[in-house]
Amino acid sequence: MRRLVTGIVGLAALLAGCATTNQDNSSRLNLIKNRNELICGVSGKIPGFSFLKSDGSYQGLDVDICKAFAAAIVGDSEKIQYRPLTAAERFTAIKTGEIDLLSRNTTFTLSRDSSGGNGLTFAPVIFHDGQGLMVKKESKISSLKDLANKSICVGSGTTTEQNINDAFESAALPYTPIKYQDLNQVVAGYLQGRCSAMTSDRSQLAAARSGFKNPKEHIILDDVLSKEPLAPASDGQDQKLADAMRWVVFSLISAEEQGITKSNIDEKVLIAKDNPQLKPLRRFLGIDGGLGEKIGLSNDFVVKVISSTGNYGEIYDRHLGPNSEVPIPRGQNELYNKGGVHISPPFN
Amino acid sequence: MFKINISSIIFSLKNLKKTLFSNLFNTIISLLIILFISKACFNTFEWLIFKADWKVVTTNLPLYAFGSFPPNEQWRPATWIISLLLLSILTLCGPEWKWLRKNLLKVWVGTIPIGLYLLYGGIGLSPIMSRHLGGLTLTILLTICSSFLSLPFGIVLALCRQSSLPFVEKLSSIYIDVMRSIPLIAVLFFGQLLIPLFLPVGIEIDRVWRAIFAFSLFVSAYIAEDIRGGLQSIPNTQIEAANSLGLNQYQIIQFILIPQAIRIALPALTNQSIGLFQNTSLMAILGLVELLGIGRSILANPEFIGQYIEVYVWLASVYWMVCTIMAVLARNLEQKMTINQANF
Repeated sequence: MRRLVTGIVGLAALLAGCATTNQDNSSRLNLIKNRNELICGVSGKIPGFSFLKSDGSYQGLDVDICKAFAAAIVGDSEKIQYRPLTAAERFTAIKTGEIDLLSRNTTFTLSRDSSGGNGLTFAPVIFHDGQGLMVKKESKISSLKDLANKSICVGSGTTTEQNINDAFESAALPYTPIKYQDLNQVVAGYLQGRCSAMTSDRSQLAAARSGFKNPKEHIILDDVLSKEPLAPASDGQDQKLADAMRWVVFSLISAEEQGITKSNIDEKVLIAKDNPQLKPLRRFLGIDGGLGEKIGLSNDFVVKVISSTGNYGEIYDRHLGPNSEVPIPRGQNELYNKGGVHISPPFN
Repeated sequence: MFKINISSIIFSLKNLKKTLFSNLFNTIISLLIILFISKACFNTFEWLIFKADWKVVTTNLPLYAFGSFPPNEQWRPATWIISLLLLSILTLCGPEWKWLRKNLLKVWVGTIPIGLYLLYGGIGLSPIMSRHLGGLTLTILLTICSSFLSLPFGIVLALCRQSSLPFVEKLSSIYIDVMRSIPLIAVLFFGQLLIPLFLPVGIEIDRVWRAIFAFSLFVSAYIAEDIRGGLQSIPNTQIEAANSLGLNQYQIIQFILIPQAIRIALPALTNQSIGLFQNTSLMAILGLVELLGIGRSILANPEFIGQYIEVYVWLASVYWMVCTIMAVLARNLEQKMTINQANF
């Protein structure tokens, strides 16, 4: 009995301790540094973005973004613990502190960003996507209208589901959604002929199609149903971590703007050190200005990031470029001066 | 011997003719069904052997077995799984070695700490984080640890439910009823997503162990009911007899009630553990890469896109194999226990 009482008292003390530590506003950024490891939520199930290689390691665009964060915050791009998450549980995982940040094909929307909604904060967009529809060529379907009264395979619990509904409702067309839990099941449903079309982000359609036995027999319709800016996310309460993440992503884009790559970064650092007149470059690489410390990172975080993952263009080419296994034309994802929308604010 | 065989075959053929081809209508139906079945079998085998591309299975075998366990340490989970398999075979054959036969149960229980040591490392072995656990190793770890934890807890709950103290009895009934009225997935969600919310920042329970605890809490309610069934079937006269022999309360529970209750509840307990093994696949939707989860991750590899059927057929056969081993072991145990009972 006495043991029981001490047990209960102990538990109460533990809960009380929990209440006090939660009030203290220490940033997740310090927690990550102390842990010396970043816990990164990924999908683990999207070709080109994050998937498990046969040797047991994760790879993809989203994974490289995790690596960039780890290089900047911890100083080592390999000190990452990946948490595979499904679409349904990803926001809870951030809120509970199960993961530090999310790099998992998450669409940046108002209700997710707002404190009245999911209460997240988004880093800059790392991939501009849009929702599309894929049909079999032989079906002769060429636009949204042809899909009236047909069934469409869609992943549930995502913005995809909402968008397809909005598109058909505003066009006053009836259709039958067939819902699946994740993209791979949507693909399987479509291939087994359970629906006339499948819908998802165009990048994912392209990725899925590249794995089909006869990719040429499937076409992606020209109708674009939505903007899908995909961005890493973290807890909206934590401004310090959000700032750090924002500028790590911008540093990837800015490095591409300035032509700084994984292979020439060391050279660029030497040039910047030797030439005091190259002020913007010196600030960017952390030689002057102390920019890194302002956002809670080391001053040379850009050097660490670029030397471990390369700039944005390199990351893109590695996973989604023409020679990769999931080629997706860069289109909107080019830099602003090449017809795309990626731009970095100045590092001043 | 041979003659008897032939005559029995002829007999069964005759029997077949009588039952399946007795008149025209029956013959047509039988022929159609035979055609249909053979076509189905033919297509299945054709797919299995010629059409299916088993590369998605063969190149990823270490992943299915060990998840992302560091490659040069993979002998550790391999040793554990193989020793479990050998022990199963040994148990089925009935070991000749007398010491082993006596201590078989202890050896089985001993595989748990040995397994944990091999998987997590520590003294002499490099430590491995539980995020590296995956595949079949994780599935087996979840099953074994949860069943090991839930059995004693279930027994305690069952005894409490039989207790004469109203407080204890009500408490355990409420626990059992509540657990049985919540779906398992809700308990698992609670374990994975809400428990970290309640714990203070510094303290973390490993997510694999959170899953194990959630499974144990859930399954123990069902085990408690199975054991209670066993306890209730023991006639009261036995307890009276034990009392008159001067056994105290604990001795009665230890020597009279529990052994008999477990023996009676054994088929139900087997059911629970096989169910538990299959339910671990629910962790795939909660982000643990156990056997099903790893299959789904492999499917996202651009190299293997679209090979769902191969992966799921393979996973189904692995689940089938393990479940069969468990069922056969349990049946063997039941038979041995009935023999013991006959000796009374």
